[in-house]
Amino acid sequence: MKSFTNVNPKSRQEVMALLKKAVEEQQTASLAGGGSDLLGMIKDDLVAPDVVVNLKDLRDLREIEPHSQGVRIGGLVTLQELSQHPLIRSQYTVLAEAAGTVATPQIRNVGTVAGNICQRPWCWYFRQGFPCFKHGGDRCYSVVGQNQLHAIFGGGPSFIVHPSDTAPALMALEARFRIAGPDGERVVPASDFFVLPREEVNRENILGPDEVLIEIELPPARQNVESTYVKIMDREAWTHAVLSVAAVLEIDQGVCRMARIVLGAVAPIPWHLPHVERMLVGQRITTELAGNAGQAAVSQAQPLAKNGYKVPLTEALVRRTLLSLAG
Amino acid sequence: MAEELKTLGHSTPRIDGLQRVTGRATYSADVQLPGMLYARVLRSPHPHARILRMDLAKALSAPGVKAILTHENCRLVWSSGDRVNKRYLFNNPLRFVGDAVAAVAATNRHLAEEALKLISVEYELLDFVLDAEEALQPGATEIHPGGNLSPIISFRSTEPGKREPSIYMRGDVERGFAASDFVFEDRYVSKHVNNAQMEPRVALAHWEGDKLTVWTPTQGIANCQRDIARDMNLALEKVRVVCQYMGGGFGNKNQCQDSDLMAAQLAKETALPVKLELSRKEDFVCVHGRWPTSQNYKVGVLKDGTLQSIQLRGYSGMGAYRKSGGGISGVEYFRCPNVKTEIYPAYTNTAVSANFRGPPYPQGVFGIASILDDISHELKIDPVDFYLKNVTRKFRDSIPYTSSGLLECIRQGAELFEWKKRWHPAGSQQGPIKTGIGLAAGGFGASVGRSSAVLRLDSEGLLWLHVGVTDIGTGAKTTMAIIAAEAMGIDLDRVQVISGDTDRTPYSVGESGSRTTSHTGNAIVEAAKDLKQQLAASGPPQGDQVLIAEATPTPRLEGMVRYSFAVHFVEVEVDTELGGVRALKYVAMHDSGRIINPLTAASQVKGGVIQGLGMALHEELLYDENTGIPLNPGYYGARVMTHVDVPNVEVHFVETEDAYGPFGAKAVGEPPIVPVVGALSNAVFNAIGIRIKELPITRDKIIGALS
Repeated sequence: MKSFTNVNPKSRQEVMALLKKAVEEQQTASLAGGGSDLLGMIKDDLVAPDVVVNLKDLRDLREIEPHSQGVRIGGLVTLQELSQHPLIRSQYTVLAEAAGTVATPQIRNVGTVAGNICQRPWCWYFRQGFPCFKHGGDRCYSVVGQNQLHAIFGGGPSFIVHPSDTAPALMALEARFRIAGPDGERVVPASDFFVLPREEVNRENILGPDEVLIEIELPPARQNVESTYVKIMDREAWTHAVLSVAAVLEIDQGVCRMARIVLGAVAPIPWHLPHVERMLVGQRITTELAGNAGQAAVSQAQPLAKNGYKVPLTEALVRRTLLSLAG
Repeated sequence: MAEELKTLGHSTPRIDGLQRVTGRATYSADVQLPGMLYARVLRSPHPHARILRMDLAKALSAPGVKAILTHENCRLVWSSGDRVNKRYLFNNPLRFVGDAVAAVAATNRHLAEEALKLISVEYELLDFVLDAEEALQPGATEIHPGGNLSPIISFRSTEPGKREPSIYMRGDVERGFAASDFVFEDRYVSKHVNNAQMEPRVALAHWEGDKLTVWTPTQGIANCQRDIARDMNLALEKVRVVCQYMGGGFGNKNQCQDSDLMAAQLAKETALPVKLELSRKEDFVCVHGRWPTSQNYKVGVLKDGTLQSIQLRGYSGMGAYRKSGGGISGVEYFRCPNVKTEIYPAYTNTAVSANFRGPPYPQGVFGIASILDDISHELKIDPVDFYLKNVTRKFRDSIPYTSSGLLECIRQGAELFEWKKRWHPAGSQQGPIKTGIGLAAGGFGASVGRSSAVLRLDSEGLLWLHVGVTDIGTGAKTTMAIIAAEAMGIDLDRVQVISGDTDRTPYSVGESGSRTTSHTGNAIVEAAKDLKQQLAASGPPQGDQVLIAEATPTPRLEGMVRYSFAVHFVEVEVDTELGGVRALKYVAMHDSGRIINPLTAASQVKGGVIQGLGMALHEELLYDENTGIPLNPGYYGARVMTHVDVPNVEVHFVETEDAYGPFGAKAVGEPPIVPVVGALSNAVFNAIGIRIKELPITRDKIIGALS
């Protein structure tokens, strides 16, 4: 690997100054939270940063803080902490479950929630270093290649799927992301954070090279809400989702009052299904309605040559997830 | 067999287990020498290309770089890398993505890696072919002169034969089909999977004068020593190979690896010790894995299920070089008057295929077990009855086995598994989540042959056992000590095992082919007889005296074949909507003769089952067909089984009496993986009523088959 400079800034200001300096000096800076993905990418020659900005000393970003307006989750909270936190487990179950499905215990112990949200694609072409769109190239090799794991929604010109487990959960919870940048901080809804390749082909979110996802804000927990994260994997641990469903339902006296359903691993961004949610609100979730919702979930699917199985898979998993929550 | 056994046959923890699990064991990669350089290898990014020009100037002047080897300045042949063609350490043309282009030695790892990027290479791209059957079509690019059908080779000879398929025949298959009530035909496909042993390849080479020492993980220090001596043109005694601890091999480390020779040559040129470490990705792509196959069967049976005729035409993808046999085996486990198998091993521009635990069997058993299961389904015969009727009684229906617990494994296994209670006709369950059961049978040769042991008894009563084995994870060090303790009638803790060093131990056969326990174990028993006679004659040694006994027996089997057998039963749950398969219950029945150490023997069976399930359900080295580049090398991409994927595996031994191994032991290591894929395939068929004919049995295939 190419040698790089490691810096451990002590404050957000110092982080911003380092990123600004790197941009000015036309250097590549990489942010390290837990570093579990970054180190692997450096070793595999997929990135070659001049500077690694290691965020580990930003203690205030390691806290989960409940307050009157919801919960503030620092970007450096580990996936393990998130999955075990009593309040997150009881009130924001979908998020605790999503964090608990990531990779392995070792990775969850170091991997951070911000890192999980901002991880680069796990498309095998990207990870093997093919000169694809995501590496600044001019094509997506999956289109005429091995696209078993690729997008059935929102693809083109790149057909990667967004690999994060926590991102669909956070979108389903209507979380907001706090971003620090050179001109101060801004807060955006999670659903505005991710970008499709047709808008921006070589990155997966709105972060610029001098910006940092520092915090996640969860809205106040609601009454009568049940939520869950269901992840389909090709082995029982240490792999990304083939498909996942993050679902949040508010059910009062048997009637669905609110629904948020977001799919993971089927599109280049977490894939929100508002038209399915509209079918559910005001209704009792019966076997028939859940079946119709499953069908509606995939009505817009555009599979490639080898990922057609994801369509009936998604249909079945959406149906089952709704029934299990409503049950 | 009636005598009371004190140590042997009792579960015994590994004598080096504590060192291994506490990180105190010195594996090859842990060895450090003063002034040691690190080497890294530049690999071909193309599946088939000719090197037109190389420019090393920049790399040679980079900081810390001490030497670079290429095909231009190093013409060493890696003889164990190809049994047919002259495979150099660095070849031109390059024949697969990962073929070595250059090796750099530098003062640290990072400088060596950075120097690789400074080597400029101009390639002329050639056509490439990834599939064995396509490689044999007219007009396919020629990977070696003379075409892509690789010659016949045998384990007995290194002289390659003609470019013909490998054919086995008995009886007359056409007559057999004519005499059959029903004839079935089908085709099955298996994929290239990697051995995926924990420890990747590494080599540390060091010259002292004209003597070369290589620390390397190898399944046979004597074989590795012989390979290195031959390829470096050295006398045998000028090469010392050391492997004290090893992190698995599963056939991946049978021979000397090119990294051993590269490190030795770089060490020679720089006059410094050189360590070459392969990455996990290199280990997956640049060493070797199991050969992929396509298998076309035609099987004739009578109405009562009696086999009449079996014909197999199969293709094996050997990758770019011919390291190993490439057979497709499994038909041999069935009695049948008319058999013809015809196997075409072919070169492809992919990772090399060679030995991986039970080399030709798991994929072959998948094929033959699948078609026979379909036949018993069509004839409405319970598969257990079908197996009891048709499994082998004599090797190839003619040569007696020294012992066989095969029928007993089937009968006892069916009882323990509660086969009759769990059985239902294929695809007969309602609802999206279905269960199914399956069985398959197999085995592996438990050969006997030449190996050596030296016993040295000192006046403290310590027995020093010198054996040239490496404990590749099978527990061989412990097994050898148990055999010595039992043979001498002393406690296990009085035995000191000296192993894994060609300068300190006599010849041993090598940890492949499930041979160590029988071959080297017999040598220990023989040496112990001698030592006991010496003791009886002259009494125990006094003071500085020692008694030494050596034995190199060369036992032979006259007119008999010696086999271990395995029969596996599995119940699966298939979620037909989500396409997932989960093993619920697993019973593994094994005839390995007398079990020396039930603890490590059962562990070996469980390990083999896990590997087989990975091959059945997850693993495949997947290539991008447009570029010839592998997409998923490594533990993450290949979806090698994790602990949470593993079902509870019940292991039972049927301990037959066999007169030819030490205390009647046969073989344990290779058989456990053999029946797994076939049993799993049959269980999935029983659950869903549809046969998945191509491995691995993944979600996309199950959902695709059912929709």
